[in-house]
Amino acid sequence: MIERFRETIRAAASQKRALRIRGGGTKDFYGGPLRGEILDTRDHAGVVSYEPTELVVTARCGTRLDELERMLAERGQRLAFEPPHFGETATLGGCVAAGLSGPRRMAAGALRDFVLGAKIIDGRGDSLSFGGQVMKNVAGYDVARLMAGSLGTLGVIVEVSLKVLPMPASEATLRFEMTQEDAIGTMNRWAGRPLPISATCWHAGQLMVRLSGAAAGVAAAQRDLGGETVEEGARFWCELREQRHRFFEGPAPLWRLALPPATAPVPLAGEPLIEWGGGERWLRSEAPAEVLREAARAAGGHACLFRAPFETAEPFQPLAQALARIHRSLKAAFDPNGVFNRGRMYPEW
Amino acid sequence: MQTNLADFIRDTPEGREADGILRKCVHCGFCTATCPTYQLLGDELDGPRGRIYLIKEMLEGVAVSGRTRLHLDRCLTCRSCETTCPSGVQYARLVDIGRAVVDRLRPRPAADRLRRALLKESLPRPALFGAALALGQAFRPILPGALAAQVPRTSGRGTWPQPRHARRMIVPAGCVQPALAPDINAAAARVLDRLGISLIEVPRAGCCGALRFHLGDQEGGRRDARTMIDAWWPYLSQGVEAIVMTASGCGAFVREYDHLLERDSRYAEKAKRIASLVRDVSEVVAAGEARLAECAQRSKPAPLRLAFHSPCSLQHGQKLRGVVEPLLVATGCELTPVADAHLCCGSAGTYSILQPEIAGRLREAKLAALGAGAPEAIATANIGCLAHLQAGTATRVRHWIEVIDERLD
Amino acid sequence: MSPMETAGVEPADFLAERDFGGRDREALLSELSRVLPRGALLVSPEDARPYECDGLTAYRQLPLAVALPDSEDQVRAILRICASLDVPVVARGAGTSLSGGAMPHKDGVVLSLARLRSILALDPLARTARVQPGVRNLAISEAAAAHGLYYAPDPSSQIACTIGGNVAENSGGVHCLKYGLTVHNVLRVRAITIEGEALEIGSEAPDAPGYDLAALINGSEGMLAVITEITVRLTPKPLTAKVVLAAFDDVVHAGDAVAAVIAAGIIPAGMEMMDQPATRAVEPFVHAGYPLDAKALLLAESDGTPEEVEEEIGRIREVMAANGATGIRVSRDEAERLRFWSGRKAAFPAVGRISPDYYCMDGTIPRKRLAEMLTAIATLEGKYGLRCCNVFHAGDGNLHPLILYDANAAGELERAEEFGGEILELSVEYGGTITGEHGVGIEKIGQMCSQFSRQELAMFHRVKAAFDPRGLLNPGKAIPTLNRCVEFGRLHVHKGGVPHPELPRF
Ligand SMILES: Cc1cc2nc3c(=O)[nH]c(=O)nc-3n(C[C@H](O)[C@H](O)[C@H](O)COP(=O)(O)OP(=O)(O)OC[C@H]3O[C@@H](n4cnc5c(N)ncnc54)[C@H](O)[C@@H]3O)c2cc1C
Ligand code: SF4
Ligand code: SF4
Repeated sequence: MIERFRETIRAAASQKRALRIRGGGTKDFYGGPLRGEILDTRDHAGVVSYEPTELVVTARCGTRLDELERMLAERGQRLAFEPPHFGETATLGGCVAAGLSGPRRMAAGALRDFVLGAKIIDGRGDSLSFGGQVMKNVAGYDVARLMAGSLGTLGVIVEVSLKVLPMPASEATLRFEMTQEDAIGTMNRWAGRPLPISATCWHAGQLMVRLSGAAAGVAAAQRDLGGETVEEGARFWCELREQRHRFFEGPAPLWRLALPPATAPVPLAGEPLIEWGGGERWLRSEAPAEVLREAARAAGGHACLFRAPFETAEPFQPLAQALARIHRSLKAAFDPNGVFNRGRMYPEW
Repeated sequence: MQTNLADFIRDTPEGREADGILRKCVHCGFCTATCPTYQLLGDELDGPRGRIYLIKEMLEGVAVSGRTRLHLDRCLTCRSCETTCPSGVQYARLVDIGRAVVDRLRPRPAADRLRRALLKESLPRPALFGAALALGQAFRPILPGALAAQVPRTSGRGTWPQPRHARRMIVPAGCVQPALAPDINAAAARVLDRLGISLIEVPRAGCCGALRFHLGDQEGGRRDARTMIDAWWPYLSQGVEAIVMTASGCGAFVREYDHLLERDSRYAEKAKRIASLVRDVSEVVAAGEARLAECAQRSKPAPLRLAFHSPCSLQHGQKLRGVVEPLLVATGCELTPVADAHLCCGSAGTYSILQPEIAGRLREAKLAALGAGAPEAIATANIGCLAHLQAGTATRVRHWIEVIDERLD
Repeated sequence: MSPMETAGVEPADFLAERDFGGRDREALLSELSRVLPRGALLVSPEDARPYECDGLTAYRQLPLAVALPDSEDQVRAILRICASLDVPVVARGAGTSLSGGAMPHKDGVVLSLARLRSILALDPLARTARVQPGVRNLAISEAAAAHGLYYAPDPSSQIACTIGGNVAENSGGVHCLKYGLTVHNVLRVRAITIEGEALEIGSEAPDAPGYDLAALINGSEGMLAVITEITVRLTPKPLTAKVVLAAFDDVVHAGDAVAAVIAAGIIPAGMEMMDQPATRAVEPFVHAGYPLDAKALLLAESDGTPEEVEEEIGRIREVMAANGATGIRVSRDEAERLRFWSGRKAAFPAVGRISPDYYCMDGTIPRKRLAEMLTAIATLEGKYGLRCCNVFHAGDGNLHPLILYDANAAGELERAEEFGGEILELSVEYGGTITGEHGVGIEKIGQMCSQFSRQELAMFHRVKAAFDPRGLLNPGKAIPTLNRCVEFGRLHVHKGGVPHPELPRF
C-alpha cells in the first residue's frame, strides 16, 4: 500500500501534477478548492498497536474514526479532544490533517496536543517517521505535530500515534439563562477556578456547561454552580460537535472566529454561537470577509470561512509577510514539486 | 566539576579546600536564581556559578585581571547561594580563598587599598567615628548626625535585670550596636530573664573580626578573633551555657571561628569550643516559646502589623530560617507577606560603602517588598541591616527582640 | 519564490558543518558595541570563559564574544549584525541545559537573554501571562499565585531555568503527566529570525491560521529563531493535592507499580521514582524524611477536590501495596507535600554530594519496559565499573539515569559516555527515544544518527533552512550532518543498502 502511495507521488512529482489526498471525504468542504487526482487513503486502514496501559494508540490513516473510538471505548478510553467526524466515513488521517477538535478542547487540549508520532510520505515519495509512541520526545523538530492541521499540504500521513486518556467516570450538563456578555465573563471566571468543566456553549441566551470527572468532583461542582441539569446532555454535545445543532442549519456562510477567550462580545452582523469558554465563536454572517477578519485580528485572533454554499472568500486568514515566507519554505521543504492539495490552505501553493 | 589546580596553590591547605569545594559544584545553576547580584545584573559573572568559575580559572593558573576581582567584589557574601545549593557547595569559604588569591595576584590600585585600609581601621572603633558602624555588618556613608536622626533611639539603655537565675549566658557588647541602638542587648536580657535565663554582658573587647576579614585583611580578622576568644574564655569556666549573639552578622562569623582558626595550633581547640557555644538570640528564645506565649497572653499587647526582614547572616549564614517569625506571631504580631525574603538588603558589611550603586538598588527593592503589606514597623535581626534599611524609609526599623520585649510589659 | 523553484536545493549544512573561521572579528565587535549598553559585551577570555558551558560541563567551548542585550531591539540588532557578517549565534537563557544546547560556537557570539526578564502582563481572567524570555519558570508561578493560578510545567530546574530555554527545549516536569509539556502550555511566541525579522507564532486565541509553527519552535534548541516574548497559559491551582510516598525493596517492583497505576485508569498529577543512591544523596539537603533503607521510592500525586483526592489516593495506595510496596506514607499537609517533591527536584545537583561529576541521560521508553531497563542498567554498571543513580519521571517513562564519574580521573568521562550511549540505544530499541526533555544539543547528536534515517535527518535540515537558510543559529547542534553520522558510524542502514556510497569515508 505504502509502495503504491510512493509510486503515485513520485510519478506526480516528476510530472508536477497535483494530488488530492482524501480519506472519507467528510471534510471536503473545509479549506480551499479541491484540485488534482484523488489519492485515496481508505485502504490503508487498521490499528497497528493499542496498549491501554501505555495510553497510546497507533493506527493507519484510513482507519475509520468511529471504529477507532469504539475500540477505545471498549477499554474505557477515548480521544480526549473529541474530534468532529462530520460523517460516518471520517478517517483518522483526515481527522489529523484537518486538525479540528471538539467541545472538550477547552479543557483537554486540541488534537495537536495528542499527537505523539507520525509516519508520512513527503512530496519526494520518501517515507519518513517522526516522533514515536512515548509521551515525551524532543529528538529533532516535532514534525509529527506539525502535520496536525496541515490539511495534507505537507505529505500523506500514513500512520499516527495518539495519546489516549481514560473516559471520565461521570458527566453532567447544566443550563443557565444568560446574556452573551455575562456568559463570556462567567465562562472565563469559572475556567480560572479548579472546576471540572469540560465544555461550554452559549447560544441564544442559554449557556450550557458540561462537567466531567470523578463522580465526587462532578457532584460538588454541580452543587457549586447551580443551574438546571439537562437530561440529554450527551446528545447535545454530540450534535454540537457534529454541527447538527439547529444553529448550523441553513445556507448563511458559517464563520469560525478563534479569539482570546475573554474577548468581549464582538459586534458583528449575524448570529453567534460560542464554544471553548469564549475562545471559539461561530457566526452565521453575510458580512464581508474583510470586516470579519479585521475584527478578529483586532481582538488578537483570526477568522476562518468554515462552510459556505459557494466560494465567497479565501477560507483562512492571510498570514503576515514573515510567516508567509516561512510557510512557503516549509511547503517547499516537504513538497518541492507542489504535489499535495494545491491551494487547499492558501491559494499561492 | 573537573579541576586541575595550578602548582602555586594545589598543595596548599587553601588549594586543597578550594579543590574540594569546586569538585562538589555540578554547575547546575540553581544558585543563580537566588543570588541578588545575578538577579539584578543578569550576567553569569555576577552570579555564584560564574564566580565559582572565575575562581576555578584563577586557581588553575589562567591569568587574571582586575575583572575577576571586580566580580568577586560585587558579591555580597550573603550566602543565599549556599542555602539554594543542593550539592552543599560552601561558596563563602571558596570566595574567601578566591579573594585572598586575587589580591595577591593582582594587588588593588593604591587608592582602593587606601580606602579599604581606612575603613577597616576606623570602623571597628566607633569612638573614632561616632556612631556609625555595626559590628562588621553595616556602615552608612553619611554624617553621624544624620544617621543618628534616622536610627530611632530607644529611651536609652533601659534596665538590665539582676542576674537571678541559675541558667546563665553571656552576650558580648558590640562595637557599634551600643551606640546605634543601645537597648538591644538589654532588651534581650529582659526577655531571657522572663524565660528563666540571666544574660551577662561581656565588656567590649573590639570587633569579632568579620570586618577586617571581609575587607581583605584575613590575618587581621584572625587577630581580632583571638582577642575575642581571650575575652570570653574566662566566663566558660563559670558555668555559662552559651554565648548569645544579638547581631546575626557577628553571630555568623563567630560561629565559624573553628574554621577560621583551624590551622592555629594554639587557638584551634578553644575556637571550636567557642563556636559550639554560640547561639543566636532567636534560638534561645525559641527554646522557651511556650513560656513566651504565656507571658504574651498575660500582657495582652495591642495588635501590630509587622514586616520581618531576615538578615542573610541569619537565614543563610547561620541557616536559621523560620525561627524568629513564630516568636513574633506568638506575641501577637501580624506578619505581612514579604516577597523574595531570601534576598539581601544590600547592607552586607562595608558593601554599601564600596558598592553603593548595587547596594542602593537592593535596598530599594527590599523596602518595596517589605512595604507591600503596609506594615506599621519593620523588624530585623542585625544592626547593619537595621541602619541600612532605616536610612531609606520613614517606617520604623527595629530589632525584633526589642519589639518582643515591649510587648511583654 | 514558489515551491517549484526551490526544488532540489539542499540546505547548506546538510552534508557537512559550515566553517565559520576567518570572519572579521574587529568589525563584529565594533558593530556590536555600538548597539549594546556599556558592560554588555564580553570579549576577553577571562570574562567569556564562565559562559563556555551550560549544565553539561563535559563539553566546553570559548566563544568569540558574549552579548548581554536588555531589550528586544538590541536582540534584533545583534542578529542583523551577525547575519550581515555571517557569524554564528548561540542563544542562552539560564544555561541549565543538560545537553550542551547553550554551549558556545568557537567563531560565534553567545546571545544571553538573561537580562530580558520582565513579566509584561498577567491577565487573571484570560489566565495568561506575557513574559520576556529570561523570566525564570518559577517566577511566573510566583507572580500568578495571588490569583490562584500557576504555570504548570515544572522542570526540576524551575527555580533557575528561563521560560525561553523551556520553550527552546520543550521542557517537561514532574507534573507533565497530567498537565502537559511546555508545548502544551505555551500559547504564543514572538521570535526574531537571524535576519532580524519578527515572527508571531501561535496566538492568545485557541489556534492560529496556517501551519502549527509552535510545534516547531517548541523544542527548536535555539536553531530556528531567537525567542523574545512568550505568552503562557496559566492553570488554576487545584483545591487540594496530596502525595503518596511508597517504598519498595526492589526497583523492578517499583517499575511494575508505575505501569499498574496507569493500568488502573489513574492519571496521577505526577509520578516519579528515585532509587536508593539518589534518595540517600538528597535526604541530607531536604530532610524530607525519605526512608533510606528502601531500594526505590515512588512519589505519586493526586490533585482535585478533597473528595476526589481522598478517593484517588486510596486507589493509588491499593495498587502500590498490591505491587509490593513495603511502606506507604501520604503527605499530611502542604509543607510535607512540597518537601516530598523538593527532594526529587534537587536530586541531580544533590548527587554532587556523593560524586564530583554526573552524566545525566534522558531516554524515554514505554512504561511497561521500565523494569527491564532498570535491570539492564544494573548490568551496565558492572560492565563499565561506574555507579548509576536512577531518578525519573516514571509516569512518562522518561528515565534520568545519572552516571557517576570523576572528571579528574583519566578515562572516566569516556566510560561514562559509552555507558550513556548504550542506555540511549537501548531506549530506541525498546521503542522509545534518546531524549524526552533535555534536548539533543551537542551531547546526543551522535545518537540522532541511530534514531533517524538519512531522509529524516535531511528533512530536519530543510525545516531549519526554512527559518535560517544559512545555518547561523546554533550550528552543529541537535541535527547531525551526514558527515558526522558517517564518522559516528552508526547511520541507519535501510533495507541492507550501504549507506551513502557518495560520501568519503573517514
Ligand atoms: C538540575 C537540573 C534539573 C533539570 N531538570 C529538568 C526537568 O525536570 N525537565 C526538563 O525538561 N529539563 C530539566 N533540566 C534541563 C534544563 O533546565 C532545561 O532544558 C531548561 O529548559 C533550560 O533552560 P535555560 O534557560 O537554562 O536554557 P539554556 O540552557 O540557556 O539553553 C537551552 C537551549 O535553549 C536555547 N535557548 C535559550 N533561550 C533561548 C531563546 N530565548 N531563544 C531561542 N533559544 C533559546 C539555547 O540555545 C539552548 O539550545 C534540568 C537541568 C538541571 C541542571
Ligand atoms: S554570596 Fe550572595 S551575592 Fe555572593 S554569589 Fe552567593 S548569593 Fe550571590
Ligand atoms: S547550586 Fe551549587 S552545584 Fe549548582 S551551580 Fe550553584 S554552587 Fe554549583
